[in-house]
Amino acid sequence: MAVNEKGILNRLYFIAGCMFVFGLAVLLKLFSIQYIQGDEYRALAEKRSVKYVTIPANRGNVYADDGSLLATSIPKYNIAIDAVTSKRKTFEEYIKPLCDSLSGYLSKSSSYYEKEIRKARLNKNQYYLLVKNITYTDYIRFRNFPLLKLGAISGGLIVEQTTKREFPMGSIARRTIGYEHIDKKGNVTRPGIDGAFGVKYLRGTDGLRKKQKIGNNKWKPLTDFNQVEPKDGFDVYTTIDVNIQDIAHHALWEQLDKYKADHGCVVVMETKTGEVKAISNLGRNSKGLYYERLNYAVGESHEPGSTFKLMALAAALEDKVIDTSDVVDTEKGRLTFYGKHVEDSNHRGYGKISVSEAFELSSNTGIVKAIHQAYKKKPSKFVDRLYDMNLDDSLDLSIIGEPNPIIPDPRIKNGRWSGIALPWMAFGYGVSFTPLQTLTFYNAVANGGEMVKPKFLKEVKEFDKVIKPYEKEVINKQICSKETIAKLRQLLRNVVDKKHGTGHKLYSKNFSMAGKTGTCQKDYRDKEKLNYISSFAGYFPADNPKYSCIVVIHEPDREIGYYGADVSGPVFKKIAQKIFIDTPLIDEINSLDVKVPAIEEEYETFYKTARTYKTIMPNVIGLPAMDALALLENMDVEVKVKLNGNGVITAQSVNKNEKLKNNQTVVLNAS
Amino acid sequence: MARETNRHYKFDWITIILFFLIVGFGWLNILSASYTGGDIDYFTFSKSYGKQSIFILFTFCIIIVILGIEAKFYERFSSIIYIVSMLSLVGLFIFGKNVNGATSWYAIGSMTLQPSEFAKAATALAVAKQISDLNTNINSFKDQIQTFVIIIIPALLVLLQNDTGSTIVYGAFFFVLYREGLPKYYLSLGMSVIILSVLALKFGALTASIIASVIIFGYYYFNKKKVSFFQVILALLLSVGLSYGVKLFYDSILKPHQQDRISLWLRLEKDPVKLEEMKRTFAYNLNESEKAISSGGFTGKGFMEGTRTTGKFVPEQHTDYIFSTVGEEWGFLGSSFVVILFILLLLRILHLAESQKSQFSRVYGYGVASIIFIHFLINIGMVMGLIPTIGIPLPLFSYGGSGLWAFTILIFIFIKLDSNKINEW
Repeated sequence: MAVNEKGILNRLYFIAGCMFVFGLAVLLKLFSIQYIQGDEYRALAEKRSVKYVTIPANRGNVYADDGSLLATSIPKYNIAIDAVTSKRKTFEEYIKPLCDSLSGYLSKSSSYYEKEIRKARLNKNQYYLLVKNITYTDYIRFRNFPLLKLGAISGGLIVEQTTKREFPMGSIARRTIGYEHIDKKGNVTRPGIDGAFGVKYLRGTDGLRKKQKIGNNKWKPLTDFNQVEPKDGFDVYTTIDVNIQDIAHHALWEQLDKYKADHGCVVVMETKTGEVKAISNLGRNSKGLYYERLNYAVGESHEPGSTFKLMALAAALEDKVIDTSDVVDTEKGRLTFYGKHVEDSNHRGYGKISVSEAFELSSNTGIVKAIHQAYKKKPSKFVDRLYDMNLDDSLDLSIIGEPNPIIPDPRIKNGRWSGIALPWMAFGYGVSFTPLQTLTFYNAVANGGEMVKPKFLKEVKEFDKVIKPYEKEVINKQICSKETIAKLRQLLRNVVDKKHGTGHKLYSKNFSMAGKTGTCQKDYRDKEKLNYISSFAGYFPADNPKYSCIVVIHEPDREIGYYGADVSGPVFKKIAQKIFIDTPLIDEINSLDVKVPAIEEEYETFYKTARTYKTIMPNVIGLPAMDALALLENMDVEVKVKLNGNGVITAQSVNKNEKLKNNQTVVLNAS
Repeated sequence: MARETNRHYKFDWITIILFFLIVGFGWLNILSASYTGGDIDYFTFSKSYGKQSIFILFTFCIIIVILGIEAKFYERFSSIIYIVSMLSLVGLFIFGKNVNGATSWYAIGSMTLQPSEFAKAATALAVAKQISDLNTNINSFKDQIQTFVIIIIPALLVLLQNDTGSTIVYGAFFFVLYREGLPKYYLSLGMSVIILSVLALKFGALTASIIASVIIFGYYYFNKKKVSFFQVILALLLSVGLSYGVKLFYDSILKPHQQDRISLWLRLEKDPVKLEEMKRTFAYNLNESEKAISSGGFTGKGFMEGTRTTGKFVPEQHTDYIFSTVGEEWGFLGSSFVVILFILLLLRILHLAESQKSQFSRVYGYGVASIIFIHFLINIGMVMGLIPTIGIPLPLFSYGGSGLWAFTILIFIFIKLDSNKINEW
């Protein structure tokens, strides 16, 4: 033999040793798993076998002021089938009827479903998705399908419920109503009311339920109750009026589209209460379509331009340093301060005009000169007066993103103040406000001097219980004297009423409006990029203001137009007009006996004719077709009436006073 | 010689008791791992544990038949048994049924049979016959090749059927050949190849080549008289070639799922995201089984009390991952008990093999021990993460008829041969 005795023994030991060493290694590893890493593994095992499952709370609804839904959460269902769980006999018995039912509801053929489900069963697929995102009613239908009816274990029905946020009004006021968007990285964007109240009221609190893993991805509840009961979110009632919102949205849309503007916004506010009845923010995307992009009305601060002349004059009138009848020289439309020019839009000035006219004409030189002369010695007085009118305060809105107003102050060294600051402020440059801040001031003027805070919410409710009412909030009881207010309101009214007023294009003899145009240059430091912001702020009706409204349109196409009166004014007018046409005149009828002469007369004539003509053809030309028919069909002879067209009768085939026979045909033409 | 009257049958009861202890304890764990609630029906085809008890009953018939057959039959007919067995493997390509990606089953009605399990015993017989042949000299290259061919045929056949685990089992015969005097350099060669491959994968081909060169030159320096410079250069070239070859093999020939298993084992993967992904997918079993074992503690949670076992956390727990049930329910004590049972069984068989008078019986005994050992090594190693995941059952312990019967046949042929040694004069 090739191997000697000792060699064999060594080899034997080697093999036995291998086995022994391996056995030892196993024991060591066992020891390591169970003792050294034991705690770590045990914690992992516990984590994997028991978990808290969140039960999402239903998100609250958002309502308009009349109770119509603006945003709501509705449950959606995904239906899948566990193709393996059902017994062979049951499966074979019900598969065909099930597939017939499926095919009846969904688009594909019964044999397709049968093939697919059989394939799933063959592949031991425990989750074959049948349909996604169906409503509750459809889910009930699916639940009653053959096989699925037998439930989760015998039939293999798998139901997953998800919640979808729906906006019954479509994209209208989307940015203000808001929503919650969670992107793939888990970042949450929450604009608008949802952002302001989503966490506090709408969201509710999720419940928790302890579940234990019982098998392959199956979890069973450990207790009969939820460890934490889910609490549904509260409902939020906004001040939004769906009709006004609708008008505002479409009026703005049309105008933006017409002027190919970059973006714009409209806010309609109820004068007395500050309730925001409509807020629309539309921006253009790269394809030229407009949609609710950002809340410009709340968040975009810009130099207001001429609309600020109202604030400037309010300060001067209140300080009694200027009166509306004072005369200023517009000096051929150009003033120069430290080498910089203030120009009138007509480039030649208006000669010597009153301050009132300067405002109505929106003469930059006129207003600037008046303000400059009045305050050049003590500009801080002007600034203080603006402060007194709360113009430097932000509105402290619940919707996030509102910037503070900017007003240069000679006492504050922040680089904003300079020699030209005062004159430039007078016509709305160097200062900066959001549309809503400007509107709040105009609304205060409309409201007789009482400045109210814009509000978006009426109340927060849990079913019918009011959780938190939102009362009217007054920022400043009287921003300036009644006398000043009266003068300001006259000025604003003149802008529309007077023939020379910049807002005269809006004039309508049917109802009164008051407001101020604004055409502000944007990026004026670079001529290349020169663009405009056209705005119109005001209120209506002029005498007894009910709503105030601001329209701001950024960067209209200069080729088409850019003046505030042309671009933004029409939106304002359209809203005012529509609100008054669409709001039905409610005339209380105190006594039904009161006779309306015109109607009475009409009826008398009809009645008289009906009594007079029994067998003879009456004159029906000029009568409404309905009346003519009624007349002829109620005669003593039976005539057949053939009516062509509708409206008012223009011709009759049988002449007046001709005798009618039974079964005679009368042809009437109407138009 | 009056054989009829003098015949002594003295079965080795220690081996038989160990055999039944393993089978019985295995059945208890299968019961626990496959129990799904309700009354326990011990003999039923609808539950795994019920099937297993029927399989176990049937092993008694097999044992009686095996022990009843004349011992000489196994030696004399080993070639025929081997050929029939190889044909049954070839037949799989035509009649085989595919289960879990491997075409290694014959389906007879609802029953399935895995011929590769039985082929191990047949190969053990054939190898024993070949080596014990008086004309065979294990040191001659020709005979080495002949023996290799006997082993490589079934190994290749099962590899083609996608049953990698069983292929590796045939490596067990290396132990047998080594015991029977296979030249030492095969061992050194085998060891060097394994070590070098692991080094190349773990630290890169260059590092592996450098380490190999240092060792080879070191060896040359101290043994200048024994080895020629030419041999050194050849060894050097081979090891460098192997280092790069392994890397190339790993990168371009192995399938992604095989790469993943190796990379997890050698901890090659550094990307935590990929690692998490691995833990969730193919390493899920391992992860879960380690958790189950660790949750057992010293004494375990008790029979049928293991939450992770009854919760069915570990897939395939009643077959390949049965050891995790032991770990959870019987703890360190129970697991050690199983390990010790196997080690005792192996050492007992080795001891018996050494005491055989006929070379055929001895070689066969070594074959039995080696096959059981390799199974044990791969299975326990896999369940505890000592080696890469290779699907292979724990002999006698895991659920499955073919495996149980094949090992019964394997062991009891040896018991029969051993009982006959007294007649081997």
